[in-house]
Amino acid sequence: MPMSKRCIPYTPRSRELHQSVFALVSTAGVHLRGQEPFNIEGDNSWRVLPGDVQAEQLMVTHDHYDHHDADEDINCVFPIDRLRELAAGGIIGGVASRHLGFMGYSQRLREIYEQVAPEMAKLILRSNADAVLMTAG
Amino acid sequence: MVGIPTVMITVFPEETRQAGPPRAFHPQNFKPGNSLGGPHQVELQRQVLQDALRRWEAREEPGRIWEQPYPAYTADDSWREAYREE
Repeated sequence: MPMSKRCIPYTPRSRELHQSVFALVSTAGVHLRGQEPFNIEGDNSWRVLPGDVQAEQLMVTHDHYDHHDADEDINCVFPIDRLRELAAGGIIGGVASRHLGFMGYSQRLREIYEQVAPEMAKLILRSNADAVLMTAG
Repeated sequence: MVGIPTVMITVFPEETRQAGPPRAFHPQNFKPGNSLGGPHQVELQRQVLQDALRRWEAREEPGRIWEQPYPAYTADDSWREAYREE
């Protein structure tokens, strides 16, 4: 069955925006400077980013988009500062205790669909996140 | 099985339409690497984020991609040629 014919997965929200804690999940190749970089030729691994991560601790490893802007300001693809500002302003309930970085360039799509994505979802579900904002792609 | 409500910001709306996430937001003509806008464009990034969160908040039929133009964002379209060649 081609992937485009699969059902659209849908979980309705059970809280209001201002009550909801948000996690960021990005396929823009974001990771901590100390973590192993992604393999630009294809990588199905993910990186766990702590909830209190600072923008300057993050970097991008990706060969399939021009990330000069993200290198200068990670918020272009991973809006951690903007999310924190919205939390401080009471627009959202908070910023989650963990976020996830992924590269998203891979030929092994079935593995992503059957193993990787469910594992990443489990990590988010086991955190304090009520909601996820995804970026890149 | 438990799930979690998500929204994605996409710069490739056609690919996103085929992938079929439940909620998506497309800031029009933003290039890859500028999902929220350009570097240090704080007000623009904040606006895009808030608009994407409005998509998260809206209770409507899953699969809809909201589109929004942002006059404050400018990027030349040269990146599109590079992606066509890939």
